Amino acid sequence: MRTHHRGRAVIAALSVAALAVASSVSGAVAQDRTLRIAMGSPGEAGIRVWEAIGAQFEAANPGVTVDIEFMDDDLYQTIGLPQLLASPNAPDIYFEWTGSRMAQRAADGYAADLTEAVASGPLAGLLDDELFAAATLDGKIVLFPHTADVTNVLWYNVPLFAEHGLTPPTTFEELLAVCDAFVAADIIPIATGNKDLWAAGNWLSHMASRVVGEDVYDATLAAGGPFNTPEWEQAFGYIAQLREHSCVNESANAIADNEGAQLFFQGSAAMHPIGSWLVSWAIDEAPDLEFDFVNLPAMPEGSAGDQGSAIGVETGYMVNANSQVQDLAVEFLALMNSPENVKAYVAAEIVPLARSVADAGVDGRSLRLGELLAGAPAVVLPPDTGYDLEMANALYAAEAAVLGGQATPAAALAALDQQLAR
Amino acid sequence: MRPDRRVAPWLFLAPGLVVFSVAVLLPMVLTVGFSFTEWNGFGAMTFVGLDNYVRAFHDTFLRASFLHVIVYIAATLVLEVLVGLCLAGLVSMRRGRLWFRVAIFTPVMLPMVVVAVLWAFVYNPDFGLLNGALEAMGLAGLQRIWLGDPSVALLAISVVSGWVYAGFYMMIFYAAFRQVPSDIIEAARLDGAGEWSIFRRVKVPMIRGAVGVAVLLCVTGGFQGFDLFFVMTNGGPYGSTEIPTTLLVRTVFRHADVGYGSAMAVVLTAVVVTCGLAYAQLQVRRTRGAAR
Repeated sequence: MRTHHRGRAVIAALSVAALAVASSVSGAVAQDRTLRIAMGSPGEAGIRVWEAIGAQFEAANPGVTVDIEFMDDDLYQTIGLPQLLASPNAPDIYFEWTGSRMAQRAADGYAADLTEAVASGPLAGLLDDELFAAATLDGKIVLFPHTADVTNVLWYNVPLFAEHGLTPPTTFEELLAVCDAFVAADIIPIATGNKDLWAAGNWLSHMASRVVGEDVYDATLAAGGPFNTPEWEQAFGYIAQLREHSCVNESANAIADNEGAQLFFQGSAAMHPIGSWLVSWAIDEAPDLEFDFVNLPAMPEGSAGDQGSAIGVETGYMVNANSQVQDLAVEFLALMNSPENVKAYVAAEIVPLARSVADAGVDGRSLRLGELLAGAPAVVLPPDTGYDLEMANALYAAEAAVLGGQATPAAALAALDQQLAR
Repeated sequence: MRPDRRVAPWLFLAPGLVVFSVAVLLPMVLTVGFSFTEWNGFGAMTFVGLDNYVRAFHDTFLRASFLHVIVYIAATLVLEVLVGLCLAGLVSMRRGRLWFRVAIFTPVMLPMVVVAVLWAFVYNPDFGLLNGALEAMGLAGLQRIWLGDPSVALLAISVVSGWVYAGFYMMIFYAAFRQVPSDIIEAARLDGAGEWSIFRRVKVPMIRGAVGVAVLLCVTGGFQGFDLFFVMTNGGPYGSTEIPTTLLVRTVFRHADVGYGSAMAVVLTAVVVTCGLAYAQLQVRRTRGAAR
């Protein structure tokens, strides 16, 4: 079995194209039975699980080679995957987010129809039926769900809250009061590392969706504006209030997401808004930290959105419609979701959606995150995976400007519209 | 059998020419070609004529990025070239101080990404060395969010650039100073000139050529700056350290706007080449003027 790890450097992206062209010559000559899989990096523990599953598959299918490409997440999300799909040795299975990205792959002709395999083939009965709603396009299942990431909740340090006689906030007003209390105690209320804009961007976008309403949020982001409206100004006004109450670390826009997390891990900050991946991360980096989460606190009266909404996205694997080994690809997806391999994923802090996960000893917080997403009355998509990336970056930048006190809500929104219009 | 004398040179040149054509010339030509298209790098390519150049002309973000890089270059001319010149003057006065030269030159040998990560820790506002040192010295009032404050972020990166390259320019100037005839310096000394006067009125004027090369390298190198900006601030905060190269990479590799990104690359190349040619022309005129 072959595995590949790619660095962050942009040059690596060019290498993908160059290597793909070069290897096409040999690929054309040897009609091997290679199953190629592409994804962002699942972390060291996750990689070991994937490699083990690849070895199992090769052992069960003599003459088949499993070739797994682990690419830097950012690279994969931007040009990495399209480069691979356009190459002669395109992946047979590839990781994708549901939403606009999945639809784009289908529109580009890279999505095999998995409906039959799910209905009566090797993939039947592995997942609950409702999970396929987000994976279905025009009545066809085009993605086999694997995990569901809650993109943002408010993690909090349990002992710090207890020490100061505070309870986790459930409303925006309570959040501001908690901020005031922690500021008075010389503790950073909320730590975030927003240098790359998405970390606080997802949190603040979820907040905005609660204020403007899910429909307006979806319509505005899908159309790329206009944002300079009273609803959005009201939403951005709450971001300004977070700043006025010194809720967020002053360094927010200067430090990376992992540095923001470190402030939380070290107990310098009481809360940290980030996604479900914090569980495994915190267990590794701060094994003694007692932490838990609440969903985004409800926004004040007059907000148009559902105050129980969650922000998150289902992710999974698509089978390339151009693959010559689609049968093998479907069998591999089934093997991934066998009870033994689901347990292996869970041990690596990856929580699959497979039915057998209930018996796999998942961390209680991860289970509750899954329940939060499954039971949410509305689920909003993160801007950077659910919508156009350039628009998402512009929105994140506008939110960061307000959070950092660099612009008023009105000015930030006007600049955002201006940027999107260029 | 001996090859034709007219063919022989081309035979020797051919391998190099092939590599140059494939690795340099072809990508340049393709980039110019892409700049007239709307293309995401994978799908269909649409010819759009000069639209991308018109867009670049009106792009306030691109204009701002050029302004930022000009400020950065101005800062690095001081922090790299001028500081390097002063360091070379010091070193050439004390020829035995090898350790000093090695110490100053060492940062040049470090990969820029390592330097960027290292300095990001130094500048970290929460647990960084700089703010910690300022506090320890009772200068807490000078503490800043170094890479998060738009008024200082660009300068903070320029300082890192100076830390790296001052040693490089020091070595260039030091080598040039070693070429200055010692009898001229001795004569100046006999005339009563102090070390500062010798440095300012004798040594520096005599290495004008090296200073010219250093300035050219600094200016063109400034336009090519990328690593420090990408790792330390990624163009932020609020776009205050966005330079053409980071904007270009974001446009092409993140937003998949290859056509417009190519136009930006062509514009950037044109600016750098123009600067280089203008400066070279200026130097030639000065040299001719001096010769007369």
